[in-house]
Amino acid sequence: MDVIIIGLLLGGTYALMAVGLQLQYGVARIMNLASGETLVCGAFGAVWFFTAYKMSPLYALIGVVPAAFFANWAIYRFMMLPLVRRAKNQGQLEVDSILATFGLSFVAIGILLALFGGEFLAYSYLATPFSILGQPYALNRIVAFLGAAVVCVGLYIWLHHTRAGLTLRAVSVNPSAAGLVGINVASTSALAFALGGAVSASGGTLLSMFLNFDASLGVIFTLKALVIVIMGGVGDIRGAIVASFILGLTETAVATYLDPGLTLAAAYVLFIVILLVRPEGLFGRRSS
Amino acid sequence: MLEVKNLSVFYGRHRAVENVAAQVSPGEIVVMLGANGAGKSTFLRAIAGQTPAMPGSSVVMDGSDITHRPPHEIVETGIALVPEDRGVFADLTVHENLVLGAHPKRARPHEVANMERVLTLFPKLAARRKQLVRTMSGGERQMVAVGRAMMSAPSILMLDEPSLGLAPLVCGELFRSLARIKETGVGILLVEQNAKQGLAIADRGYLLDNGHVTGSDSAEALSNDEKVRKAYLGAG
Repeated sequence: MDVIIIGLLLGGTYALMAVGLQLQYGVARIMNLASGETLVCGAFGAVWFFTAYKMSPLYALIGVVPAAFFANWAIYRFMMLPLVRRAKNQGQLEVDSILATFGLSFVAIGILLALFGGEFLAYSYLATPFSILGQPYALNRIVAFLGAAVVCVGLYIWLHHTRAGLTLRAVSVNPSAAGLVGINVASTSALAFALGGAVSASGGTLLSMFLNFDASLGVIFTLKALVIVIMGGVGDIRGAIVASFILGLTETAVATYLDPGLTLAAAYVLFIVILLVRPEGLFGRRSS
Repeated sequence: MLEVKNLSVFYGRHRAVENVAAQVSPGEIVVMLGANGAGKSTFLRAIAGQTPAMPGSSVVMDGSDITHRPPHEIVETGIALVPEDRGVFADLTVHENLVLGAHPKRARPHEVANMERVLTLFPKLAARRKQLVRTMSGGERQMVAVGRAMMSAPSILMLDEPSLGLAPLVCGELFRSLARIKETGVGILLVEQNAKQGLAIADRGYLLDNGHVTGSDSAEALSNDEKVRKAYLGAG
């Protein structure tokens, strides 16, 4: 029971980084290997707000989210768009964008090291027990989960019930047809990339309430987000959310019953099994 | 009115279309006939802004030059393209596809009226608004594609091989709806391999051969022309 609730709380918070990467890959078609660094920036932002101003990480979101949005918009506009324009096909764009964002991740790590140093940064916020079904759980994990749930539900409603959301989904489904109905594909992709970065960063801010971060940790989160997106299937955020819960439960179960050192290995075993058995993801449709 | 002059498109060093001129006025159906690989699709794609035209090409819509403009700006001038692959959003519903059709600014104020018109034209779509387009038959997808294009309130509708892959009965139904669209004052530019059916509903026609326009006349004259009958109508 313990494992299930902790796993679900963790998975729910993971959902943010997965949904962020999915917006960037599914709509803007950029496989952003620096998405983990965006998440770490979100976490460091929270640490900074907390230590400098004694501000709750939830308030830190007010600063972190717009900053990540504009930074990612600029990355798309000035670094990715030239690659998109140059690419002759989707395969070439994927190779180019993976290399470019991989490089970008090292730039980000360097800047974070210069600014914050190489130590683990942590703070204590709401580290008080809260009882669910008679068992105590850390309140910060519950608050982080609820924050993530609000963002995911809000994003889902926006994507599926507003005209702007429909525009984003149209670009994700068929970019060339999107141009034919008068959608500016380049600016819509920039919006999706910026939004994805903002969601990833908010995930970092919320995760920092109960995980400790250092500057080099981004790659682990990039890979976890990647595992979730591939597992859930590109194109629908519902798949990413369900896959996040699966990863959260798997990691918690492995850490509890086997060994905490095996969590990342377990994530990859899951990833490889999915790739071999169902390459389109649990909820993805085979491309026709 | 759509006026194309000196339109040339090269893929690398390969010439797809060279110095093509054509005109389409509101309320007429113009068919462009040509064999596979004659450059018909390229011609339409270049007008819609999906394929870059060579310098010196000229595409003018209602007096304004739209050559070299991106696709999303060309739609705003009143040109809608139904591409060969239909250009529908397969993972979205019929209703969402039609709503997206009304995305251009020029179409937004008329969205409700246009939706009504499209659903009157294709009553089948009204019953299937919630259905995902990927689950529909070829004929139904083509209806969604034409409906989606009509939602942008075009004055010129371009269709790339609309009969491709359709059963003869479905194809006949589609061509009858094109004739009804024409009656509302929309100009239609049709590219077809199926010359017989194309000429049957068209007012005028162009012959495209190996990237060049080799002839143009009224549809009636073209159907009676011996050379056209030999080359495109399979009559010997």
